[in-house]
Amino acid sequence: MKKLFKRTKATTLIAGLLIVGIGCSDKLEEPELNNNFAGGTDFTKTEDMELSIIGVYEAFQSRGWEQPLLISVRGDDVNAGGLGDQQDFAETDLFNYNKDYWMYNSLWENVYVDVITSHTAMDQIMRYQELADDAGKALGDQYIAEAKVLRAIMLFHISQVWGEVFIPTSSDTAELFDVETVPTQEEVMQHISNQMDEAIPFLLDTHPNKREDLPGGVTLYTALAIKALANQELGNYQAVADAAGQIINSNEFSLFPDFYELFKIPGKLSDESILDMQYSDFGQGEGDREAHLYAPYGPQGWTPAVDGAASGWGFYEPSMKFIKFMLDRGETVRLETSVLFTDRGIAEIQTDPNYATLPAFVSNTTRDGDIINDYARALFASGKHYLPSNQLISGRTSYGSNKNYNIIRYAEILLVYAEALTQGASASGMTADQAVNLVRQRVGMSALSGVTLDQVIDEKFAELGMEWGKRYYDMIRLGRVNELSYDGRTFTEDKSFLPYPQAQVDQFPILDK
Amino acid sequence: MKIRSVLLLISFMLFQVALFSQNNITVAGTVSDSEGQPLPGANVILKGTTTGVQTDFDGNYILTNVSDNGILIFSYIGFSPKEIDINGQTTINLTLQEDTNVLDEVVVVGYGELKVKDLTSSIVTVDSEVLDLAPVGQAMQAIQGRVAGVQIVNNGGPGQSPTVRVRGIGSYSAGASGPLFVVDGAFFDDIDFLNPSDIESISILKDASASAIYGVRAANGVVLIETKSGSHNQKPQITYDGYTGYQVPQNVLAMANAEQFTTLALESGSDPDAQFILNAMQRYGRSRVNPNIPDVNTDWYDEVMRVALIQNHSMGITGGSEDATYAIGVNYFEQGGLLKMKNEYERFNLRSKIDFKVNDWLKVGGNVVLSNATRYDAENSAWRLAYFAVPILPVFDPQLADNPDVFPTNYANAQDLGYRGGQNPFPTMDFSENREEIRNVLANFYAEVDLIPEKLKFKTAYNHNFESVNRREVRLPYFIGDNFQRVDANLLKRNITISNQIWDNTLTYTESFDKHNLTALAGTSFRDEAFDLLQARGLNFPLTGEESYFINLAQTIVQEDTFDGGAREFGFSYFGRLNYNYDNRYLLYGTFRADGTNKYQEKWGYFPTIGVGWVLTGESFMENNGIFDFLKLRGSWGELGNDRVPSSEGSITSEVVTTALGDIFFSGLNTSSDFTALKWEVTEEINAGLTARLLNNNLSIEADYYVRDTKDAVIPVLRPLIPGATRQNVGEIRNTGLEIAINWDKRVSEDFSYSVGGNFTTLDNEVLGLGGAEFLDAGSAEFRQRSIVGESIFAFFGREVIGVYQNDAQIQADPVAVANDLAPGDFIYRDINGDGDITDDDRTVLGSFLPSYSFGINIGFNYKNWDFSASGTGQGGNSILNRKRGEVIFTNDTNWDRDFAINRWHGEGTTNSYPSSAGIRKGWNQRLNNFFVEDGDFFRIQNITLGYTINKDGQLKGIPQVRIYATAEKPLTLFNYNGFNPEVADGIDNQTYPIPAVYTIGVNVKI
Repeated sequence: MKKLFKRTKATTLIAGLLIVGIGCSDKLEEPELNNNFAGGTDFTKTEDMELSIIGVYEAFQSRGWEQPLLISVRGDDVNAGGLGDQQDFAETDLFNYNKDYWMYNSLWENVYVDVITSHTAMDQIMRYQELADDAGKALGDQYIAEAKVLRAIMLFHISQVWGEVFIPTSSDTAELFDVETVPTQEEVMQHISNQMDEAIPFLLDTHPNKREDLPGGVTLYTALAIKALANQELGNYQAVADAAGQIINSNEFSLFPDFYELFKIPGKLSDESILDMQYSDFGQGEGDREAHLYAPYGPQGWTPAVDGAASGWGFYEPSMKFIKFMLDRGETVRLETSVLFTDRGIAEIQTDPNYATLPAFVSNTTRDGDIINDYARALFASGKHYLPSNQLISGRTSYGSNKNYNIIRYAEILLVYAEALTQGASASGMTADQAVNLVRQRVGMSALSGVTLDQVIDEKFAELGMEWGKRYYDMIRLGRVNELSYDGRTFTEDKSFLPYPQAQVDQFPILDK
Repeated sequence: MKIRSVLLLISFMLFQVALFSQNNITVAGTVSDSEGQPLPGANVILKGTTTGVQTDFDGNYILTNVSDNGILIFSYIGFSPKEIDINGQTTINLTLQEDTNVLDEVVVVGYGELKVKDLTSSIVTVDSEVLDLAPVGQAMQAIQGRVAGVQIVNNGGPGQSPTVRVRGIGSYSAGASGPLFVVDGAFFDDIDFLNPSDIESISILKDASASAIYGVRAANGVVLIETKSGSHNQKPQITYDGYTGYQVPQNVLAMANAEQFTTLALESGSDPDAQFILNAMQRYGRSRVNPNIPDVNTDWYDEVMRVALIQNHSMGITGGSEDATYAIGVNYFEQGGLLKMKNEYERFNLRSKIDFKVNDWLKVGGNVVLSNATRYDAENSAWRLAYFAVPILPVFDPQLADNPDVFPTNYANAQDLGYRGGQNPFPTMDFSENREEIRNVLANFYAEVDLIPEKLKFKTAYNHNFESVNRREVRLPYFIGDNFQRVDANLLKRNITISNQIWDNTLTYTESFDKHNLTALAGTSFRDEAFDLLQARGLNFPLTGEESYFINLAQTIVQEDTFDGGAREFGFSYFGRLNYNYDNRYLLYGTFRADGTNKYQEKWGYFPTIGVGWVLTGESFMENNGIFDFLKLRGSWGELGNDRVPSSEGSITSEVVTTALGDIFFSGLNTSSDFTALKWEVTEEINAGLTARLLNNNLSIEADYYVRDTKDAVIPVLRPLIPGATRQNVGEIRNTGLEIAINWDKRVSEDFSYSVGGNFTTLDNEVLGLGGAEFLDAGSAEFRQRSIVGESIFAFFGREVIGVYQNDAQIQADPVAVANDLAPGDFIYRDINGDGDITDDDRTVLGSFLPSYSFGINIGFNYKNWDFSASGTGQGGNSILNRKRGEVIFTNDTNWDRDFAINRWHGEGTTNSYPSSAGIRKGWNQRLNNFFVEDGDFFRIQNITLGYTINKDGQLKGIPQVRIYATAEKPLTLFNYNGFNPEVADGIDNQTYPIPAVYTIGVNVKI
């Protein structure tokens, strides 16, 4: 009897187990939590397309501190600075390249990842477009065009630095293993120009600072500017003149009256801006912040007008050649804006008897009252990357907090236009003289008449010094290599481009030639 | 009629006889051992019932009301049991013989127990006596060096659990190489909450055939932990164990002093560095001893470290009646940290365990462990800062005391001397606090049903582990300089809740007939693991003290740092085991497990094993062979899965990103360009082993040779062109090794016994495949680690230094030196590919972080009331990347270790292996090479314990048994590596916490 009871008990138990077993195994289909499966995105919500394009802007604006430094350091307008630190960066400035240096690989990888981000965003937007109405499709086309423009400026910088580089065609980077010849710089620049032609029909015809949906975002004129720059590299001066001319003739853009404040808070998203990387403290002294690390550009020791404002690392020193060039021209506000002086630096200039007496604004105290102390790492600091301590929002102390980083501005377009005309292109409106004189007038320089190519190039040197290595790449494309052998350096044309980072050569043997 | 009555009478008489035969009597007697000494606590049980008693201190027992033709079973641990027919006797005295056959001992295996002699697998058991020797808070630390094949790497911070590796590394994924811990049936990845003195035994299942019963979790070995229980018919035994002592930092790394540092700076060829020295002299004055160096000589490690206390108190009560057994325990443990900030670990545990025999076919039990721990973590960046801080910087700067902006303390700032960073570690230590409150409740309930007595048993067990980890990180504001300040008070709260449930059901069938013995097991297991995380960060809360450390009181909440996470994993498994032996000579063992999980795209995995054994000493030809008392050969094969690899997405994902446009805060989405779609990693293992007992069972030898292959290893495949990697199942890794453990135990006389033991392990790790690639890069570009097919995993990969250029003539004679503009004091590299040029094609494997051999030795002896034991451990063949020296690539205005300061090249003939001070700043010498990759060999005296027991044999009445002991733990470590300690789990030494030596005295009282 007992056995029977036990047996029934056993059977019930086993049956219960089986039920539990079957009931539980469907739990195995539960998906992973806390993961936004893009596969599960609701693509019928067309308004969510905006999230993808914002993602591209975020990628574009998050730049490692070393990226602009490495892109720009080799020009005759700037030296590495930071003496005693980052030896290989200093060597790069002297044209002794080390392909194992971490900065090279970091620049390459981190710019390319943003290029790929634009591809994945475009893919996502296209999926929204499939389910959108006509208005949605049109908006999608606009966003895709904007992504193309941001992608283009990043490829532009990469190709300026390395010359022959990959052109990704989709978000699948493994396709690059099949590439048989790496595109030349000409091919890359032509590709960029073509991409701009594709994007232009879909972009908003307005000044970026007039956009309300994505303030400061990409518009028709951003694309035209990049097209002009790409064609300038190719030497297609007529295309340069046409694109730049279209920007000029739109009358949307004008030069910001105060050159000094242009690079500071008052100049954020001014009418002169064409393409900016935007950063913000959102008007608050603490809390959320979108920032770029400007500390490398800051002087290593200062006595700021506002207590507690942080100084910097002492890299990126304006060159003696640039300073003397500006003094020779009698520049005032452009020299004052571009260079922060130290007493030690001033003394160094004065050792040259030609520069024994210097204008009053050449002083270690900026017009906003920040005193630049002597520091071991460098003699001068870049003024265009300087934010006066009295422009910091109270509570924020990082050097340059809240400041935008301009990439392309109207003054450059005017000079690019002028150069194209002096190189033989035909004008579509303004003359070369008018363009150059607008720029000169703004900073109190006298007007020129019958500008030559050399004068335009000098004007670019004075106007765009310290900015994105534009001077260096001008010298390379114009073949003016003698200019780059300055202050003890020896430049030869084979040094125009950096070597490919070793980590990339390991991955892509085709880069090893 | 008459016949019927005669029959009736006869049957009545028989009945009377029968009745008379079933008389209940009282039996008494004494139980002694073979030397005539009484055995207290021996069990005397009436066979077939639960009636029984234990002998008292004199070995006497009285058993009332037993049937006079019953059978009594006498048993005692370590002795062979005896059965005696009562046969009406009222006095039964007997002698029990010591059971020298330790192989009858039972070992805990998955979901059951096996006798040691029946094992075909490689299993090592460590029991509580060994665990009690080491004054450590983490149970696994106590077995360092004691188990062949198990590598324990300490993580020094108080309350931090060590890294445990069983038989090498089989998985590339970080954190996926740890074993599975099973505590009374519940699964854990980490047993930091357990009190080591609550542990009865730790069984380490090393090979596949042992651990495969745990299937998908088992690829890295399984550690089975049983907590202490009471025993039946045992008087309540109260035990108190306590120890206290202090921890002393060991092998403190010597850094360059002010004079050595000044010399290095002046030799460096860098004007700014020389200028900084002048700045220091200007600010702090010149030294009286040497006017060319500043009057400051800070030994930063000495400044930041202190001696820390450790103490532990445990009280336990175990006992049992006829039907129930119980064990109750309370434990308090406290360990201070070595860094001079709030840095300590405190843990309070309560546990209670009950097993209850409801009736003769049902047994139930329950077990609850409650652990409440608070841990204050050191700011580990402080170790790093202390390494790099220059000795010409004082801790406090008197000049800053006059500066009204500086608050709250005038710590010195290296930026005042011109350096890039503040360097002083004290602001980090002083104005930071990291608190973690870890609360664990582990509950286990089971019921065991005897369906057919002695044959078929059903057990159901439910385990629930509930853990809450609340972390609070507080950062207080300070101002020392413009670039050395914290403006906002910063508070981070992160609350993690974990709820893991397991429900196991097993059916066990045992059968014996003729010489065949068979045990079969079938079971199911269901797992539900839930994880929740909520985090928020607030700024600028009131600084009135701990009562205001709440996000509620913060002025601003940082939106970007608000995070909500969760995961829920389900697993469901079927498993079975067969254990068969013929005449205890031929052994056959097999298990099979089918595991399903929701973690990967491929849901089900199947893991079989099989093992065989041959007990040679059971054969007739081995009888009286004169050498082996016991000899068994065993072999096994098995497959296991590893699901500690993080789950895969299965499709592309998007993450929220934020940016600013027009000074407006925007949120967007970044969509990934690729995703992981993973399946199980499967490990296949073959193990061949030998178990032997010789010389009257005094010498025991265990040897194993294994080959363990991980297939479909998840490896990070570098994404082409862009940073990062995608994980794919394309790797194949092999671990091979030999494990030998030899132990000699001898009882020389009643007063004196000793034991000597040692274990030796070799490990060879090899990458067999990488999904078609010849190599796979890992680590960072500057410190490249490369897994090459045919070499060890994550091997350090760089240039080989063959010397140092000594003079200009040597430079001019070498075209490589001329081409690269080198100077005396720079490295000469080997031109590996012979092309006359030194490029990155001249790189080779510099070493692996995995040791190629490790060993442990231990000796112990007992003399009368004294006991002594000592153990040592060591390893060799591993390399360590001295990442702290390597930091020079990123910033070189920092301090150096004394070894470099003294041995740097500073003239012709001074050294042929160190670069000059100027040289170390050059890119040429900074490429990863074997100057930065150092030998990690070490030998350590692990533990020395001396104890004295009062009233050991219980002769003195009224006094409990008291043992007083003193322990030195890790008192000495010998190694060449230029760092704090050579135990670096992944081979990259960045800021490891020093491992202290611990000196304690303790008391153990048994009532």
